[in-house]
Amino acid sequence: MSWLDELSLELHARGVPRRERARIAIELGDHIACEPGCEDRLGDPRALATSFADELATAGARNSAFATFAALAVAAVVLIVSQITLAGFANYPGYSNGISIVLFFPAILGMLVAPQVALVAGTLAVWRALRRRRVASLPAREIGLIHSRARVALGAGFATMVGVELYVVDFSQRLPAWWLGLIGGLAAVAGLGLVAASRTQLRARAIVSDAAGQPGDIYDDLPVLGWHWLRTRPWLLGALASVAVGLALGAFEAHAEHSIFEGIQRGLFEGVAAALGFLLLGRAIGARR
Amino acid sequence: MKSDTLNGQLDPLILATVAEESAHGYAILQRLKERSSGAFDLAEGTIYPALHRLERDGLLTSKWSTGSGRRRRVYSLTRAGTSALEVRRQEWKHFAHAVEAVMG
Repeated sequence: MSWLDELSLELHARGVPRRERARIAIELGDHIACEPGCEDRLGDPRALATSFADELATAGARNSAFATFAALAVAAVVLIVSQITLAGFANYPGYSNGISIVLFFPAILGMLVAPQVALVAGTLAVWRALRRRRVASLPAREIGLIHSRARVALGAGFATMVGVELYVVDFSQRLPAWWLGLIGGLAAVAGLGLVAASRTQLRARAIVSDAAGQPGDIYDDLPVLGWHWLRTRPWLLGALASVAVGLALGAFEAHAEHSIFEGIQRGLFEGVAAALGFLLLGRAIGARR
Repeated sequence: MKSDTLNGQLDPLILATVAEESAHGYAILQRLKERSSGAFDLAEGTIYPALHRLERDGLLTSKWSTGSGRRRRVYSLTRAGTSALEVRRQEWKHFAHAVEAVMG
């Protein structure tokens, strides 16, 4: 087997895309043709393939995080437009005014809880990608963490857009046709953006990195949380974050609805949801080990 | 000079080499060898991941051309690459000056 064949096999084994493999083969083939017999000086084909794969996997993870964040930004605009336009209606529909509560409750969960998960996971993914943008080759486990954050964010983004579509269907007999068409259409477009970001991530995840090293966690991303007493007690971080989310959104609801009772209800709901989110997804986003 | 010593310096060396004239991988390596009088003992293949990385970072651009009857990828410096090279030159001058002052 020739040096070039061995390199191609090693690149293929590491999931380097076909187009990239073809380019590398042409460039290295030209190099060998310029000076026949120079293969020994080119180095070990396995080490060279590893170097290509590690760097491509790193660049892919960063691109995936950026694509995810961009797609989520579009989804966020759709959600905000839907809420602002809804607030303008005099007859704001309640849960009993729709077709079915089977549609209403998943819709509300999708529109209230999922965006918060998407915001946290998506921001952490893009922040890590930005923070480590000058590193040519990240440890494989760190690349895995960026992908994991982006995956959670994309899943929550999809859940949000599905929630919006369910809301549109649930109130299709109560809300004006222009609103249903506008928001239903915008949510579908945002969904397509999320699909495109998912494809970017799938392609990036196919490249296998071998680089050694630790993935780091949320305390590396946000040094402000780096107190020893907090770092050694991740459950305390989860509890504090849940209380903060509950208090902030409870206060917001109480102010918006002019009702302390509704504020307490919303605050409890959001606090419990944040705690559950931390338990279920904390490891995936690097908030706990 | 072993490749370990070159750690972190290969990128600006490639940029400086391409700044003279657009070139393909083998020609860039030959220029590096000539200008350093063969001082750099690096696995020659290592310049290719570096070239691809510099292109991804927007410091180099490349296009296909045909030379000696073969397709080859020819690299050129971008405007961002020119700026980055100037920054790295200044950093290196300061570093070399400081090391010389200490080492004598």
